[in-house]
Amino acid sequence: MLRVSKGATLRYPQPGGPDERRHRFEELYAANCGPILGYVLRRTDNPDDAADVIAETFLTAWRRLDAVPPGDEARLWLYGVARRVLANYRRGERRRAVLADRLRAELSAGYRPAQYTGELAEFAAAFRSLAEADREVLALVGWEGLDRGQAAAALGCSRNALRIRLHRARRRLADACARHQVTSPSEPVSVTNGESA
Amino acid sequence: MNQIQRIAPISDADAARLVSDTALADLAGQITMTPAGPATAKRAPRARRRRWWLAGIPAAAAAAALIAAVVVAHTGGPGGAGSTGGTVQLRPDAHALAFTRVGRYIDVIVRDPLADEASYNAEFKAHGLDITLSLVPASPSLVGTVVEISTSGPDENSITTITAKGRCWTGGGGSECPVGLRVPVGFRGQASLVFGRAARPGEQYESTTSASAPGEVMHGLNYVGKRVSTVLAMLARRHVTVPTYRDDGRALTPRQVPGTWYVYDAVPWAPQQVLLFVGPVPSHAYGAARPAPSPSPSG
Repeated sequence: MLRVSKGATLRYPQPGGPDERRHRFEELYAANCGPILGYVLRRTDNPDDAADVIAETFLTAWRRLDAVPPGDEARLWLYGVARRVLANYRRGERRRAVLADRLRAELSAGYRPAQYTGELAEFAAAFRSLAEADREVLALVGWEGLDRGQAAAALGCSRNALRIRLHRARRRLADACARHQVTSPSEPVSVTNGESA
Repeated sequence: MNQIQRIAPISDADAARLVSDTALADLAGQITMTPAGPATAKRAPRARRRRWWLAGIPAAAAAAALIAAVVVAHTGGPGGAGSTGGTVQLRPDAHALAFTRVGRYIDVIVRDPLADEASYNAEFKAHGLDITLSLVPASPSLVGTVVEISTSGPDENSITTITAKGRCWTGGGGSECPVGLRVPVGFRGQASLVFGRAARPGEQYESTTSASAPGEVMHGLNYVGKRVSTVLAMLARRHVTVPTYRDDGRALTPRQVPGTWYVYDAVPWAPQQVLLFVGPVPSHAYGAARPAPSPSPSG
């Protein structure tokens, strides 16, 4: 039976010696639970869903530990899994996993969706009006701070495809801003192709 | 990109501050306990821990302590693997809730777990209580357990749970289930409670646990690391189907999943339906390369 006390690192009774797989997961989890928590909470206002998405994302990592790339790429891989799990929830899936109970309780108690006022509220509305795919590519760069190569890895597309998607998303954001009558973010964009389709 | 940064709903650092180390460690611990295969049945602590934290929620919230509760009826118990959602006895002519005055308290028991929310709320209101109650479809082992609670107001610490042994079977070992709540006479706070109820045929669960927990449809099956075709054959014998799969979070239909793929995990989806987590390679932990478990020195 696992016992964990506040502030303690995870300890497991392992008479058989170090369990490499578990150890590897713990490292992955420790390094990425903050970023994944942030990623998910930035994309859903529902703390219950957030807890379940986070739990399922890391469960997937645990089940597919061999598929998780090493180093910083692990975070990008986890973003990709979290994105797909979130998409399932947006399609109406609701699965309150018991293992996320505690996380769910704390998130429900503490999380309050961000509120914006004035022009920022209009800008946020314009951003939210974009298609999911456009928002995601903009958010990976703007919120997670990924460079283009990293964003491409998280989305599972080529760098060139990413560049085009980013450019189009920014253009649609500018259009949406115009509709919402807010100033669009000035963005130096240089894209030379991909505008026709 | 500045403006997009400015509408980031929350930073990683702030997100991390929302949850305790304990909650994070708890999740990691539960996840790493999942590869259990045949040992799954030993995951008894779950249900207990669940209730335990229910008692602790308010501490995180800002105050309160609380509740848990209800639904008198029940799953088929550990032998209920073949049961469908029809285990709850409906009492259409009865009140949805039963109120009994016991000294300075009122004991409330849910008698009709499929009544609509308005009925419950009206009955609470008729008794002068600002309590709302709703029920969500839950997989068999979670029927009758608390899915969600929140309370506020002057008397928020004063509602307690009534439990009973053997009334239901929760998550692999807990048989002492919340069956009702005890409210002090003159309770002035607010409470909202969500309980798991049995699902109707075809109705998707909103609260689930492992598909191999006692009382669930895959209890006792050794399916982890097996090929999809093998597991489907096991499930067919129990009249269980798989409407949807997950591959690294990607939703797949049955037609998209080759029978030669491997099953990593399963969760209840709806009565007689489960969702399978699958992938093209045997997981390291479960595959053929897995070292045989050696007996622990301590036995």
